[in-house]
Amino acid sequence: MNDKKLEQLKEQYKEIPIPLELNRVVYQALEKRNSRKSLYRWGVGVAAAVIIFSTSINVSSAFAKSLADVPVVGDIVEVLTFKKIAVDKGNYQADLDVQKVQMDNKALEEGLNLKYLEESKALYEKFMSEMKAQKAFGEDGHLSVDSGFEIKTDTEQLLSMGRYVEETQGSSMTTLQYDTIDKQNQLFVTLPSLFKNDTYIEVISESIKKQMKQQMEEDSSKIYWIESSDMDPFTSISKDQDFYINAEHQLVISFDEFEVAPGYMGVVEFVIPTEVVQDIVVSDEYLK
Amino acid sequence: MLRKKPRQEEIIAEYMIQNKERFYRLAYSYVQNPDDALDIVQDSIHKAITSKTLKDEKAIKSWFYRIVVNTSLDFLRRKKKVTVVDDTTIQLQMSGHQDHYTDIDLHQSLNELLPEYRSVVVLRYFEDLKLEEVAEILDLNVNTVKTRLYKALKILRVQMDSEEAK
Repeated sequence: MNDKKLEQLKEQYKEIPIPLELNRVVYQALEKRNSRKSLYRWGVGVAAAVIIFSTSINVSSAFAKSLADVPVVGDIVEVLTFKKIAVDKGNYQADLDVQKVQMDNKALEEGLNLKYLEESKALYEKFMSEMKAQKAFGEDGHLSVDSGFEIKTDTEQLLSMGRYVEETQGSSMTTLQYDTIDKQNQLFVTLPSLFKNDTYIEVISESIKKQMKQQMEEDSSKIYWIESSDMDPFTSISKDQDFYINAEHQLVISFDEFEVAPGYMGVVEFVIPTEVVQDIVVSDEYLK
Repeated sequence: MLRKKPRQEEIIAEYMIQNKERFYRLAYSYVQNPDDALDIVQDSIHKAITSKTLKDEKAIKSWFYRIVVNTSLDFLRRKKKVTVVDDTTIQLQMSGHQDHYTDIDLHQSLNELLPEYRSVVVLRYFEDLKLEEVAEILDLNVNTVKTRLYKALKILRVQMDSEEAK
């Protein structure tokens, strides 16, 4: 056999078509390992001194801007950018905003602020070790992490805020987490606390599945993984699924990228109509 | 220690994301249909993550090739070669019939080869790996790889010459 034929075979090999699902299969397989829990777990024993906060915090323009955006409602609850962590080394970029809340309930304030700080520390650590690993590996990698927060709802009664993390490494991956605070009662609102019992998990999941199906019927470009033929179909929300309450007093359930849909769908949200959960809410104070 | 493992996992994850197409093709060359090839890619990643057998990060290339090759071979063994042909493949092969004079059919040619011969051809010639790397992946010594390559090419040659004579 001569080289030409071998070349031909090789060309055919290189032309083996790559199915669209490959991306999803790979990410999902990796995802199983990289559950978000482990991403944010922060070993207490690890020395906390690793972070070098940029010293120019208080004069940076971004900080000034975020100060201007601070929602202030009386002096009940305030959110502001507490620290900025920035790394800028060529292809490696990190830009982490650490938020801080101020409120009367000091125990809650401290708990939340500690959580925000630790999340940022973990992100920073992860970023640095990945950067080091890539460099050690002799690869000219690209890596960027961008985190910050956004206020979703700010009414007299409630404050819902989301923290986003966007990690880009070839392709990008966004995760969002929310906290909701009852400003008047200075309470932290959790998903289970809204309902009388655990039936909310099923009720909400069913509503979401219905919405997914409807959206897919109406728009063929939308895809959610709900069919049993899908590799890892959505069956139910978790007990502490990420959520916030919008300004219309409706419950909004949020899913990270790749959690229930292909990456191009991004972070997806579902508004749960209040009548669906009316019978099981503890009170109609938050959800109306 | 606490930080060592996640770091390696990150390296593995990044490596897989970057080279997924390569591994898909490799798997495909054994099983010859997209669904099974995707299954193998998925299984291989699970194995890679759970086995924790990567000792030296520099060896990640041959380490992961080895996992994909072994997963593919296991799959074939289990399936005992009940070849499922999907629509795309059927169409590819049917349309290929008309200009069969110039095109050598990859599927058929490789299919005629026993898996152990297939591995050496694919890794050496299609993936452009060095003889030493092929040997490492297949857990053979270099001389055995050379012998198998020689035999594999001989089989292919007979096959193609006869095809040409048609």
